[in-house]
Amino acid sequence: MSTGGEKGSATTKTPADFLKSIRGRPVVVKLNSGVDYRGILACLDGYMNIAMEQTEEYVNGQLKNKYGDAFIRGNNVLYISTSKRTLADGA
Amino acid sequence: MASEEESAVKEPLDLIRLSLDERIYVKLRSDRELRGKLHAYDQHLNMILGDVEEVVTTVEIDDETYEEIVRRLLEAYEGQGFQHCLGKQILFAEPFHMLNFVIQTTRRTVPFLFVRGDGVILVSPPLRTA
Repeated sequence: MSTGGEKGSATTKTPADFLKSIRGRPVVVKLNSGVDYRGILACLDGYMNIAMEQTEEYVNGQLKNKYGDAFIRGNNVLYISTSKRTLADGA
Repeated sequence: MASEEESAVKEPLDLIRLSLDERIYVKLRSDRELRGKLHAYDQHLNMILGDVEEVVTTVEIDDETYEEIVRRLLEAYEGQGFQHCLGKQILFAEPFHMLNFVIQTTRRTVPFLFVRGDGVILVSPPLRTA
């Protein structure tokens, strides 16, 4: 909870602060190819490389794959968005 | 918070480090997938994989100029699950009746493979239940 798992966006000042604040939160990561990855953001680095858990791969809105853990190379990332996950989190 | 205590994943590359000597799944650009044992990697995600199975998904079509159209159609069609169409000829109704193509997956195995990092989209370690 150190970096503010509570209300991340309220204290966000810069993009980097935002990224710090959303660790452990459910996110949607969209790649340049249009593919979406939904899961729990484990961590990320300055290249926007991303480690995710319980990842689901959506192509054209259709679930195509699931990965327990996934590493996404940062250069493919279009955006990272927080999401209200179905039931798991009270986020 | 479970994520931080779990396996000492402090930065994304730790996920790769923890997969050394394990079989991993790698999704590459241009519809390529690899499964193999991770022998080495660096910060670019250059990797050396052993006992690799490569799967390449391609669309074969009579008229090359339609490839882009087919690709989009497939993406739309894929939503309904085109896996069962693999290797079969597919004919769309009007206005695409002229398109005659086949989706194919080509597999090969390679004893050792050096993968250049810039082609990597996603890496998934083996399922760890820890």
